[in-house]
Amino acid sequence: MPIDTRRITGPETSQTPYSFCKEPEKKALLDENQERWDGRSHDQMRPTFLRAGVISQAKGSAYIELNKTKVICAVYGPREITRREEFSMKGQLTCEFKFATFSCQLRRQHQPDNQEKDLSIQLLEALEPAVCLHKFPKAQVNVYATVLENDGSALAAAITCASVALAYAGIEMYDLVLSASLRLAGDIVLLDPSENEEFKPQMDLQVNNGSLTVGYMPSLNQISALTSSGECQLDVLTKAIKLCIENCQKVYPVIQHCLMKSKNLEE
Amino acid sequence: MADVLLSDAEKTFILHGIQDNLREDGRGCDDYRHMEIETDVVSNTSGSARLRLANTDVLVGVKAELGVPEPIKPNQGRLEFFVDCSANATPEFEGRGGEVLATEISTILSRAYDNPNALDLKSLSVIPGSQCWILYVDILLLECGGNLFDAASIAVKAALFSTKIPNVSVLKGDEGQMELEISDDPYDVKQLDISSCPCLVTLSKIGYFHVVDASQKEEACCLARVIMGITQTGLVTALKKEGSGSLDPESVFDMMETGKKVGEILGKNLTAVLKEEAALGKKRKLVGFLR
Repeated sequence: MPIDTRRITGPETSQTPYSFCKEPEKKALLDENQERWDGRSHDQMRPTFLRAGVISQAKGSAYIELNKTKVICAVYGPREITRREEFSMKGQLTCEFKFATFSCQLRRQHQPDNQEKDLSIQLLEALEPAVCLHKFPKAQVNVYATVLENDGSALAAAITCASVALAYAGIEMYDLVLSASLRLAGDIVLLDPSENEEFKPQMDLQVNNGSLTVGYMPSLNQISALTSSGECQLDVLTKAIKLCIENCQKVYPVIQHCLMKSKNLEE
Repeated sequence: MADVLLSDAEKTFILHGIQDNLREDGRGCDDYRHMEIETDVVSNTSGSARLRLANTDVLVGVKAELGVPEPIKPNQGRLEFFVDCSANATPEFEGRGGEVLATEISTILSRAYDNPNALDLKSLSVIPGSQCWILYVDILLLECGGNLFDAASIAVKAALFSTKIPNVSVLKGDEGQMELEISDDPYDVKQLDISSCPCLVTLSKIGYFHVVDASQKEEACCLARVIMGITQTGLVTALKKEGSGSLDPESVFDMMETGKKVGEILGKNLTAVLKEEAALGKKRKLVGFLR
């Protein structure tokens, strides 16, 4: 590779300065009174802000905030499939999940990495069952979700946000897809974990340690997304899934109301 | 995935068979197909395995290389999964065609192994903070006959079982530098403990029922599946719903129950077979790579 002499030649890769710090005191999951650090009860969500129709050029869009987790989502289409592929009577849904480069503690690259590719597929598979794809044959709908700031539960926020954006775009759907995530640590179950409550594999060794995200369609009573990591016993996981579903049912009327309000605001 | 074309009548036939717990190849809903596994098949690797599950053919090679540990885990080695969908399997994989499937397999595998108990990564550390063993696990799909996820994970576990990492001694060189001396004796090696490595079990929902180890035809009838990583002791290390359909919560719980049951048996049998093969030692009759 030719060297660009106009620049200061630094090392090819850079590292975050945090990795050179002395290991900070590991913050326990809960404080001394077994309470969460942000004062929530174990099954309490963070204060949530949701509004649809924030991007005027997009067919539909939505913005969600779970305290510091911020996700914006835009929906374009149905439009003609640009790349000529096989004829299909079903429409095509594409999803892109993107972390803004500055959204996480460590800087991310522009190029989608494996985690983003994986999350894109998960977002797609969460939304696909809810969209009436047969209503727009030969066309595609594009969903773009961008995480502006990541403070945990980004996938759950993105799924909820994207389904609201799809609904706002007037794309026919069977149901909204709502999503909730959980952190399991021994006997402790924390709903809607923030960044430092989320499961990180290099930590503890105890069993039943992991995280779970569930996408759920409340009026159809169907699970459209399910993903977990970490080591858990089956019955604990089953219970956790039920708890996630319960939470989705709880927020369903609120999200519906919000969608209606955003739509009325536009008119 | 390589698609097969099925007419509606054929799909109905498969569906009805599953309702009666009798699948098109005569299996019950919770049965695996016949499996052949062989370890140490590629001499240039640190460990390798080949698995043939009916028509599915997977070759896994593990290469151990010395590298720099990740800054956030200075005293651990690491495991990296790469999946290569060979165009030999199906022309659709030509070029970048198999990329989506490849990422899907490698992410679910790395997620299943991504917990501190799965593999003792601390034993792969050589000099904390500067040198460690990195295990590159390369999965090559040679033929697709359905159920690639399970096949890949079983082959990975077998390959890790056969992996031999040379012992390294760290010497203090002059000027205070560390020098590594790697043993070239083929018997002076350490092996990995794979007893808590997970296997993936895929449960495909077809009609009102679910089956394990779906063949290619059955996969064409299936809209949603649940992939689980299960250890021998029945712990769930990864869980993922895959496919374009959605699932009833009750059936998800049923599927998880079956997955756990099948995964436990699968893991135990696999370990038993691998130990049996290892016990044969040099007496092992080489089956030949392709028969």
